[in-house]
Amino acid sequence: MLAVSARLRDHPHVLDGVLAVLLFSLSAGQWPIGPPLSTTVAVLVSGLLAATVLFRRRYPVAAFTAAMTIAAAQVLLGMQAGDGGPVVRALEPTVTDVVIPVLLYTVAAHRPRRVSVTALLVCLAATAVAITRWAPAQPPASSNLVFAAAAGLGGTALAAWVLGDSMAYRYRREYYASLEERTARAEAERDAQIRIAAAAQRASELQHRRALAIDESAARLRRIERDLHDGAQVRLAALAMTLGELKEALDAAPADSTDGDRTRMLVSAAHQNAKETLAELRDLARGIHPPVLDRGLGPALSSLTGTSPVPAGLDITSTQPPSPAIASIAYFCAAELLANVVKHSAASQATISVTDQADRLLMTVTDDGVGGAQLAPGGGLAGLLDRVQTVDGRLDVTSPPGGPTVVTIELPSHA
Amino acid sequence: MSAPPSPPAGLRIVIAEDAAIMRDGLTQTLARRGHDVVAAVADAEALRQAVAVHRPDVAIIDVRMPPTHTDEGLRAAQSIHRDHPQVGVLVFSQYIEAQSAAELFAGAAGGVGYLLKDRVADVSDFIDAISRVAAGGTVLDPEVVRQLLSVGRRAEALAVLTPREREVLALIAEGRSNTAIAGAFTISPRVVEKHVASIFDKLGLPPSRSDNRRVLAAIRYLES
Repeated sequence: MLAVSARLRDHPHVLDGVLAVLLFSLSAGQWPIGPPLSTTVAVLVSGLLAATVLFRRRYPVAAFTAAMTIAAAQVLLGMQAGDGGPVVRALEPTVTDVVIPVLLYTVAAHRPRRVSVTALLVCLAATAVAITRWAPAQPPASSNLVFAAAAGLGGTALAAWVLGDSMAYRYRREYYASLEERTARAEAERDAQIRIAAAAQRASELQHRRALAIDESAARLRRIERDLHDGAQVRLAALAMTLGELKEALDAAPADSTDGDRTRMLVSAAHQNAKETLAELRDLARGIHPPVLDRGLGPALSSLTGTSPVPAGLDITSTQPPSPAIASIAYFCAAELLANVVKHSAASQATISVTDQADRLLMTVTDDGVGGAQLAPGGGLAGLLDRVQTVDGRLDVTSPPGGPTVVTIELPSHA
Repeated sequence: MSAPPSPPAGLRIVIAEDAAIMRDGLTQTLARRGHDVVAAVADAEALRQAVAVHRPDVAIIDVRMPPTHTDEGLRAAQSIHRDHPQVGVLVFSQYIEAQSAAELFAGAAGGVGYLLKDRVADVSDFIDAISRVAAGGTVLDPEVVRQLLSVGRRAEALAVLTPREREVLALIAEGRSNTAIAGAFTISPRVVEKHVASIFDKLGLPPSRSDNRRVLAAIRYLES
């Protein structure tokens, strides 16, 4: 039952079709048996009236007008005052005239009130005319019958209009409610979009600032290294040279006293200290910023593979040089990974390859060692991952037991 | 302070070093040892001009100089070596890169040196290196030699050498003469000769009687 009503709701024209067919069938009994022409016209009139129902939803006013036009013809020609019988028998009102209140209801439900009220008034007027033409034929005593007919027909029209009008009111309310809901939804959507846009803007601002900070930090490290190179390192080298000269001068002088020996010993120790400090300072400065990076990532990696205790190949097919900060991250990762190969892999061969894909730098370090490398928390690889992630990079490790080990690092070309 | 005896003939030297303290220190030290620093400049362009004008015996060149502070000195050394083959070039640097050494020695027939800047601390050794380069010899920093000897495939190939032969090879690569090697190990020059012959035989290098060509052959072998 529910399914049927739901189907009818989804296909209202079916309902209208059923109604039209029903009314048309019921009117069959009222068709005059007479000259074939008269019967044909009667069938045609009933058919037309019934058919108006089919168009009520799309063209309510037109359907109503058409039905009323036929009804007017019926009133004027299909019935006659007195007992004379109809002028045209084919136009005698039939049960199909029920379409009129149905159409009035439709107009009231779906058209503005000013249209529906007009339609109502037309209906009532037609009713009045019809009764006026029909009433004189009745016996004088049956004024109650005339009154009942007027009340019946007028009441039906009025009831159809009231029903339709209240439906219209409901439709309007639903329409306004849906309008309100749609507005509220649109507002919420707009708010969400504004918030998303603000968040996106903030994210891009932060990304931009992070890129600046990363570049700035790389530049600062390079400056520190250069300051060390031009300052402390060169001064220390000059000091070591002076101490070296002093040491050699003392060595060449005749050993004349214990004091001389003592002085020689002290100078020699100072000379040794200065040389060791130089070496330490060099390692420190190189850890801050390897100067070979100033010649580009390619030469820097080539110096790594060129001095690797495990034979290492280098395959560079990237064309666009990364920013200094990215080159530095890639270099330190490669150095660490190559050191891992030497320490843990027992490999006989390693390869570093660098390519670029769109705006990403792709570096893989491969070895033919024993495998089993893991991205464990707190491990060396995790440290590299941390470093890579500061610029939204990625690090993947494939290292099944028995090898080979492939570490892939993906970095943006620019922070 | 009494200076040690200087060599009989002082060398004519050009120094290119952008750090004034090192430039001046070197100039004074070399002068005290009886050498003639004909020009001391602070960048590669001034170096090229000074070399063209003075035609020194040797130029001592810092790798990192203005304007880019990367490898100006190395490039200048290469161009000087090409344009003035009779001028020895000794490149020195705060850092050493085996690759820079390879570039510097590529195609060189001698009169080339590459040292860590720290080596100035051992003054006499440093001056000895300058003299060797000025005389057309070859000097390679022990640190570079150590790196070259330890590199992957080469280290395997060098396993055929005895430990002593490896030590001798290192000194050959540093540019030492047979006499110097004999002195370093307190062995006779004849024994050194035997070691050298054995090393060259094992590594498949052509035998050579000239110290200098032997050095270059060793370096090229290690850099290959």
